[in-house]
Amino acid sequence: MPAPAVIEFEGVGLAYAAQSGAPTIALDDLHCRFLPGKVTAIIGPSGCGKSTMLQIARGFLDPTAGRLRFVEAAGRAPAARPAMSTVWQAFNLFPWLTVIENVEFGLRLSGMPAAERRARSKKALAAIDLTGFDEKYPRQLSGGMRQRVGLARALVMEPDVLLLDEPFGALDAQTRLVLQEQLAALVERSGTTAILVTHSIEEAILLADTILVMTARPGRIAAEIAVDLPRPRSHGTAKEPAYGALFERIYGLLRDEVMRAMVGERADS
Amino acid sequence: MSDQPIVERSTDIARAAAPPAAKPSASLLDDPRVLGWGSVALVLVGWELTAILTGVNRLYLPRPTQIVVALFDMFAEGRLAVDLAYTLYRIFAGFFIALVVGVVLGIWIATSRRVGAVADMFIAALYPLPKITLIPLLIIWLGTGGPFMLTISALGAIFPIIINTVLGVRQCDPGLVLAARDLGASQRQVMRLVLLPSAIPSIFAGVRLGLGVSIILVVAAEMVVGKLGLGARLYLAGQVLETEQVFAVLIVLAALGILVTKIQDQIDIWLGRWRLA
Repeated sequence: MPAPAVIEFEGVGLAYAAQSGAPTIALDDLHCRFLPGKVTAIIGPSGCGKSTMLQIARGFLDPTAGRLRFVEAAGRAPAARPAMSTVWQAFNLFPWLTVIENVEFGLRLSGMPAAERRARSKKALAAIDLTGFDEKYPRQLSGGMRQRVGLARALVMEPDVLLLDEPFGALDAQTRLVLQEQLAALVERSGTTAILVTHSIEEAILLADTILVMTARPGRIAAEIAVDLPRPRSHGTAKEPAYGALFERIYGLLRDEVMRAMVGERADS
Repeated sequence: MSDQPIVERSTDIARAAAPPAAKPSASLLDDPRVLGWGSVALVLVGWELTAILTGVNRLYLPRPTQIVVALFDMFAEGRLAVDLAYTLYRIFAGFFIALVVGVVLGIWIATSRRVGAVADMFIAALYPLPKITLIPLLIIWLGTGGPFMLTISALGAIFPIIINTVLGVRQCDPGLVLAARDLGASQRQVMRLVLLPSAIPSIFAGVRLGLGVSIILVVAAEMVVGKLGLGARLYLAGQVLETEQVFAVLIVLAALGILVTKIQDQIDIWLGRWRLA
């Protein structure tokens, strides 16, 4: 199996015509790389285009400036688009399908025989401690369980890159803490490549190897910060002396941008 | 989409509205089925007694017992069963044509802007038109045989089905479409596996409306042109002042209505799994 590709944004920009007809720039001149085996977090104020970056990486949106490249990690030769699966903030589970049917949805599309996809889906559910709920419907589950189904549905596809679009944004604070640690353990165990979009500095530090801090709209990359804290990480990692400095630095960058985003929102309305 | 029959839901509301101090004393009178069937029985007994006591001419108002006898006689002769079979066939064959064509058209209209723009005008013109006014034209074109009956039945059901399918597909959560595409769904697979199932509760609301219109139109058409079918039997019995037979056919039609409504209530309950909350 060839090594998974590096995803490169080369001067990526996205502009669209607003309702007034004036062009709005959502993303401006982004240069960044997403490395295989690493978790990259994108953090920034609301409306800065974080989720839009994921959509571009996934291929659902074409940039209006610059380009997206896939290159081999060694040698930088062009490579195929890596397989990607997304975990969504709103879960986006199919309400008319059971848990197991949701998880095997992608495998069913790929034409995998029923017995094999059922077995794989059960394994994926077991990997996130969700056995015994196969025949339940999403509405019968709590938010935290629904998102674990969402995670299993993405992981069962064995993607090269896992896209996490504010995966815990819709959960209550305690459930979020537990799932963040579960995801951290899972990522450390499997060496998954992931791109995580988040509002939470704690979540970014807990999970990521690299954090991209975004500016308010138009979204630019304000800083690329390496997270050198030792793994395995947990919420206890917050006691490390380096953690405080890292948090302060990111918060310092974000605070001004969040203020700018709030002023921008008021000017828009 | 309601997840339980309307009657039971309304009693839930009544229960919630009742002051908590009012403890139920007679439990039988709290059962909606006892109340429903009991009141029907009461009306029938009252009718029977009134007819006997006033001695009203049975040409105007036959007694319930006489109607039941007429009903049994008609079934025993076999004529009524044949009429019922014809009517059911006409309603449901036409209705299923409307269901298949209507759902396919509805998905097409909802997913293609051009088709939507074209269809919009035709639906705006044809949907509010009382379909019963099309009977003369359809007879000129199709005669009074099977094709006419299927067409009139399908015409009655297809517009509510199309409109509700379009509505259901357009209301589909875009997040579900994105999730399916993310898992590798092609455009056709998105239609079949996401848009169609997510529209099913709405499509079923259209089925409810459409089937009702189909029943009305088929019976009306039979009254106008038919020699067979419940509508024809009703009309012919009226012509010769067989009032008991008129009532007997009405009872069969009412029973058909109850059956269809109850089946739809059951489907509504089953559709509860579409709810996400």
